[in-house]
Amino acid sequence: MANIVLEGVTKVYGQDILAVDNIDLEIREGEFMVLLGPSGCGKSTTLRMIAGLEEVTSGNLKINGEIVNDVDPADRDLAVVFQNYALYPHMTVERNLAFGLKLRKTPQEVIDRRIRDTTTMLGIDNLLDRRPSELSGGQQQRVALGRALVRDPEAFLLDEPLSNLDAKLRAAMRTELIKIHRMLGKTVVHVTHDQVEAMTMGERICIMREGRIIQVGPPLDVYRHPADSFVAGFLASPPMNLLEGKLAGHHGVNEVDLSAISLPVPRHRRAPLRRHAGSEVVVGIRPEDVHTEEPAEGVHRRVDITVVAVEVLGPEVILVADLGSGQEISVRQGPTFEAVAGARIPLYIDLEQIHFFEAGSGLAILHGGASGPVRPELGSYLKEGGPEAPA
Amino acid sequence: MSVATADGLTLAGRDRRFGLLLTAPGLLSLLIVITFPLFFTLYTSVHDYTLLTPNYDTFVGTENYQEALDEEYLPGSLWVTTKFVLASIVIEFIIGFAVALSLHATRRFGSIYYLILLAPLLINPVVVGLLWRMLLHSELGIVNYTIGLVGISPVSWLGDADVAFWTVVLTDIWHQVSFMAILLVAGLAALPREPYEAARMDGASTIRCFIHITLPLMRPVIAVAILLRLIFAIKTFDIIFIMTKGGPGTATDLISYYIYRAAFFGLDVGRASAMAAGLLVIILALTAYLYRYMNSLK
Repeated sequence: MANIVLEGVTKVYGQDILAVDNIDLEIREGEFMVLLGPSGCGKSTTLRMIAGLEEVTSGNLKINGEIVNDVDPADRDLAVVFQNYALYPHMTVERNLAFGLKLRKTPQEVIDRRIRDTTTMLGIDNLLDRRPSELSGGQQQRVALGRALVRDPEAFLLDEPLSNLDAKLRAAMRTELIKIHRMLGKTVVHVTHDQVEAMTMGERICIMREGRIIQVGPPLDVYRHPADSFVAGFLASPPMNLLEGKLAGHHGVNEVDLSAISLPVPRHRRAPLRRHAGSEVVVGIRPEDVHTEEPAEGVHRRVDITVVAVEVLGPEVILVADLGSGQEISVRQGPTFEAVAGARIPLYIDLEQIHFFEAGSGLAILHGGASGPVRPELGSYLKEGGPEAPA
Repeated sequence: MSVATADGLTLAGRDRRFGLLLTAPGLLSLLIVITFPLFFTLYTSVHDYTLLTPNYDTFVGTENYQEALDEEYLPGSLWVTTKFVLASIVIEFIIGFAVALSLHATRRFGSIYYLILLAPLLINPVVVGLLWRMLLHSELGIVNYTIGLVGISPVSWLGDADVAFWTVVLTDIWHQVSFMAILLVAGLAALPREPYEAARMDGASTIRCFIHITLPLMRPVIAVAILLRLIFAIKTFDIIFIMTKGGPGTATDLISYYIYRAAFFGLDVGRASAMAAGLLVIILALTAYLYRYMNSLK
């Protein structure tokens, strides 16, 4: 098992293309760490630097306490699963699995045993004589995973390994990867742009943007306390509604003005906002914190809206509503919710759960219901992505 | 459902007619410059047509073919051709692959190297022949002059039977090696990057990567490059015509030059046509194989 530490790691391509900008990150022994971010955020480059496939421009990369900046990839004892699987196209599955072991002069009986164990575990023991071109995407994916497993490395580096699979297979592989991680207990660094993967698989998520780390933490933590509006708008589907507003009213903090509507700020939530009194803010409202019927408990504000669209997803319905003045908001509803586009209906916004972010930097000022109890609907949301959501 | 137009043709039908109209001039000129000589050769090959009696009065059937097969010097020419083709292709492949690998790894001035490499290929073969004949001239050539400066006695590059064969082989290599190199470098550029990265993680050295990844992945490109060069090499004529005229003796008497001599020195156009038809069959077979192979890669 490996402990991987990045200290001020920077990657510059060519003269001035800054791919990774001075990041610090510790991936603990046996941890399942997910690097999450949009395309071009530097997450894959970070993984490739850990693997040794890219040189570190500056900073230190440590594995188990030793600086490995100049250590050959093969000597880092890490295994990579590539997005496009990167199987050796002219070799059979068996030779693909054996190649790395043979290069390391592993005795043949050990190779045979490891291949047998790995292929049985992954359910690909009947494919040993096939070539990659004769396999389906899912099977190739398993072989690629098998090639990493068979080496029994210190840590696994997964570079968007599920992104080429169809939705059903992806969900199944998510579960399987989590199982394998639990079974082997090895360090895993998993790169993805899919927030569902990140939420369901990661013990911790590291969210990156433009080469920088924005936030690191357990999925629920990051979900509940997004460090800035970018993280808030990136996680979950549909993500948090981010609306432009302005703090207003008495002392500039009693309410937030969203041009068409204004929402009062409960008295006990005003203190953190005082520094920003009267200034522009970004208001974050989770789709599940808006209701179509007034809840019995909590502090809510009724607003009358026009229905823009209703997306029926089966287990839930997403209502897209116009708050007036062109600001739209997504609302998560139960499967029985019905409405037609253009209808006027009331919505009840949970004032306790509203997040506030600075208008320019996007940094969080106040999280919604931060100190409140764990809400059961959040747990159910997480499970929806995959049956094996980590605790 | 197809839609009929005023002239009773469907839209697709009109498209086809218009397309045919546009391609007709091209097809016609192809017919004239390729199909006509081909059939003319085949027609001539079954007649007793010589330059002394240039007419088609005597139909001889397969007699010309029989005579050609019985010729005393044909096997010699075929053997020289085989040696020439093998030698030039093997050496071109080895040099071409080495050049392609270096070019592929080149980060700077790549286009300059390309230009230098392409230059010989852009020169007309007749010019290549003349150029090298002058460079290698035993008394006036710069090559003999240069080696003379370091005390090596002059070599009769085109006059000595053993040396002349290798001289034309090397001239052909000088002319054609970049064709091989450019095909191979294009193949290398198209190789996926990931297997190499996987191999690096697996701990494979550069040589192992070459043996276990580059060579197997390049097989289709290698096969196409070699087959194409094979087809061209068998037909080699210009260099021989300019540099050696098949000599000294029959040392460089490649089959296409042999056929040429049969027609224009032996004056027996019928027999030469029969041999040309035979050569055509060999090249067609190779081409068909190449075509099938390339199709099988899709």
